[in-house]
Amino acid sequence: MDELLTRALNAATDAGADYADVRCVESTSEAISVRGPMVEALERSEGVGVGVRVLSGGAWGYAATAKVDGDSMVELGRTAVAVARASARVRSRPVELVPEPAHRAVWMSPVKTDPFEVSLDEKVGLLATAASAIEGRPGIRIGRASLDFIRQRIKLVTTEGTHVDQTITHSGGGIEATALVDDEVQTRSYPGSFRGDLKAAGYEFIESMNFPEHTERIADQAVALLSAPECPTKKTTVVLDGHQMMLQVHESVGHATELDRVLGMEASFAGTSFVELDHLNSYKYGSELVNIVSDATVSGGVGTFGYDDEGVAAQRTPLIENGILVGFQTSRETAAVVGADRSNGTMRAEGWENFPLIRMANVNLLPGEGSLEDLVADVDDGIYMATNKSWSIDDKRKNFQFGCEIAWEIKAGKLTRILKNPRYTGITPVFWASCDAIAGRSEWKMWGTPNCGKGQPGQTMRVGHGTAPARFRNVAVGVSQ
Amino acid sequence: VTPGSLSPEEVRRLVDPVLQLSGADGVEVVTTSSNTGLTRYANSEIIQNTVQQTVRAYIRIAVGARFASASTNRLEPEHLRATAMRALESAKQSEEDPDFPGLPDPEEVGRPDAVLRLDEATAEATPEMRADAVAAILQVANDCAGAGIYETSSHSVSVQSSTGVDCFDTYSRCVVSLLAEKDGATGYREAFSNRFQDVDVEAVARAAVDKMRSSVNATETPVGTYEVVLEPCAVALLLEYLSYIGMGAKQVIDGESFLSSRGGEMVADPAISVVDDVRHPLSVGIGFDLEGVPRAKAAVIDEGRAIGPVTDLRTSRILGSHLTGHYSGSNEFGPYASNLVMSSGEESQEELISKVDDGLLITRWHYVNVLDRPTALMTGMTRDGTWRIEKGEVTTPVHNLRFTQSILGAFESSLGVGRDLEAYAPDYGSFGSQVAPSLRCGEFGFTSTTSH
Repeated sequence: MDELLTRALNAATDAGADYADVRCVESTSEAISVRGPMVEALERSEGVGVGVRVLSGGAWGYAATAKVDGDSMVELGRTAVAVARASARVRSRPVELVPEPAHRAVWMSPVKTDPFEVSLDEKVGLLATAASAIEGRPGIRIGRASLDFIRQRIKLVTTEGTHVDQTITHSGGGIEATALVDDEVQTRSYPGSFRGDLKAAGYEFIESMNFPEHTERIADQAVALLSAPECPTKKTTVVLDGHQMMLQVHESVGHATELDRVLGMEASFAGTSFVELDHLNSYKYGSELVNIVSDATVSGGVGTFGYDDEGVAAQRTPLIENGILVGFQTSRETAAVVGADRSNGTMRAEGWENFPLIRMANVNLLPGEGSLEDLVADVDDGIYMATNKSWSIDDKRKNFQFGCEIAWEIKAGKLTRILKNPRYTGITPVFWASCDAIAGRSEWKMWGTPNCGKGQPGQTMRVGHGTAPARFRNVAVGVSQ
Repeated sequence: VTPGSLSPEEVRRLVDPVLQLSGADGVEVVTTSSNTGLTRYANSEIIQNTVQQTVRAYIRIAVGARFASASTNRLEPEHLRATAMRALESAKQSEEDPDFPGLPDPEEVGRPDAVLRLDEATAEATPEMRADAVAAILQVANDCAGAGIYETSSHSVSVQSSTGVDCFDTYSRCVVSLLAEKDGATGYREAFSNRFQDVDVEAVARAAVDKMRSSVNATETPVGTYEVVLEPCAVALLLEYLSYIGMGAKQVIDGESFLSSRGGEMVADPAISVVDDVRHPLSVGIGFDLEGVPRAKAAVIDEGRAIGPVTDLRTSRILGSHLTGHYSGSNEFGPYASNLVMSSGEESQEELISKVDDGLLITRWHYVNVLDRPTALMTGMTRDGTWRIEKGEVTTPVHNLRFTQSILGAFESSLGVGRDLEAYAPDYGSFGSQVAPSLRCGEFGFTSTTSH
């Protein structure tokens, strides 16, 4: 394979590329979905292909194919250069890249038990047992369980001498209980919604989630939600669990601090950001308790890697320190635009087919102090919301609205009755400024989300977020039609 | 093997050996290939420029009432065979599914006709041609910052099975968009066709720039329930989400669809009819579903009444209803209506606006999401062109607003349907289209606002 990639690289250089990188991605995945005792989907997928990215005439060109042979690699390198030259027709400022040392390395994410070596019998059995147990609870209509395993081997070579070979394995899964009455549907899931949770790990992560221990609880909560009162409409204190904090960080900090959005490069589709370049090191993004980092080095994160897809070594970069904006997520191109010395390494692409974009690696809210119980104890009248159910935010990442699966009313420092259809809305910097407590290390956990969309052609990325439960004051809740 | 440009004959040559797989009671191979060229621009210059050649074979194996799938993008015989063996192994380890109807038999379900929405010139468009089109857009945009895409692509889909299914279809796409921005004011327009010749890039650019110019000095407007005129782009996205959350029979069977408890009832104003119709002149798609069943023209809402979901072989058997040919390729998700068309009315958009005493004109939505499936309650933001309508005239631009609204409720409050239909590409992926008119709704709830 190395020889083929070198052929593509040489073809691009011979055709006039000023810079080129060639990325081969070989992927294997398995997805199993079970409803009650029945397998609804059992899909195994594999693929391989190569993408060539070049700079020629000061503009980018990208060409990708699944046909991995010598002649095709030569054609691919030449095509990428031809595409770049077409781009240069409508380019006034040449693309510049900040320097990055050449890296030669082999990197693998840690795996204790290879999920692809675990028998299908065992996986299906685990899911069918859990989903059947859920469907066996009174009042439950649907019990679902799922597992997802993805392995990618990514080889990257560049004209600057980088040659890295990475193998990354992600494992995930979850269970879900749905109760229905008339035209009302209520769902509870564990450990999170939308197929559970994902980690850079092996089958040991699936075992650690211990599905059987949670089937009864989520089933009974789904049923209880049907007869629970609606979340009231008012301004109040809100405590959010770690899973909802994952989405809160993702939408209102992660995307807002991507430098390509700040620079307007995603304007027409995903949008821009309320954050401006001159906000750096002065803008009050949140309260002094709020510390958020972009961290591609943290153990277990699905945004953890050795090198990003333009060969920049993984880093940990502060984005918000004590409530002040101190950093952006960058690429080699955008770092050059803002005069930075080096990219902080957040360029990733979905597969070999796509041009790398700035994508969140693991954007983590650093832990504070105390427990969830402590956060609740300090609330006289408020609401605790758990497990994300819906999300929406404006094109500048300012006005957001989230829904959760379940909430509990807080009275005199204690969780009391269940509330259904909890939703809250806010304006990003106002909301983060109202943060007056973040739970400590013992409550902090890495989450993985499988479906972050960005770019055209559309790309889906797995993104990690470390979060702990947090408390916010004076939040608008109970948004209804 | 040439990825991205597979002829029917090539597909048959590759797939035929797999269909004879020993140990399987049924074998189905869906082969997709795409050639996509997408030129992306922002800040009035090309920022990314991609050409992709992709191909994939999805193999579904049945062993009695057990089944499983596997896919690969390596179409060499040894890889196809290995992939089929993986699916066979998985199928043998699955539980028997009493609702699995087997693979479709064309003698029972019919043989589809291809739609063939392929335009050779669009399929063969070059990076230079796309760059020139972007330059033409930016020339009209002039001193505005322009951002958007110019995509040309071609796609083919085939289904072959051991039960005798053998079908092939192909289509091309041209998708063009411009977001024009100046001093914080924005305007947006997009266009979509299977032929690039039918997309007037200068008209797209003029419309976006006009919207931008009309959006200068926007002010905040109070939240609340407004009468609205939704432009076709906004209506099309709502149709796409309605399809996603509840127009398929699987969601109805599971009780999670807005059609689950309202089948046969009035769910919209009688002026509103929605069909899935891949053969509508503005639709772009293929003439069969992903198990080779012919795509029927399927009414979902007929003159305001919920007619029923689209089905695939499995769900039509469970419901005892008509087979419409909408298998999505996912047994877990179920059938999907990918080519929705809302029927046109008799008034122009200007005439719809002229009848609004106090309301809003909406260009497009941003980040729509579902809050409650059975009631089709959704939320999302306006963007790139939102104005107040007063006494039948579009007056002042307003800051963007968040809607929290049952879309069926909005359809029930409809006061007029536009006469001009426009086609839109799906938000993600390259499969399907929505065709929509402007729509005047009497009640649309907005629950918060933002500062731009």
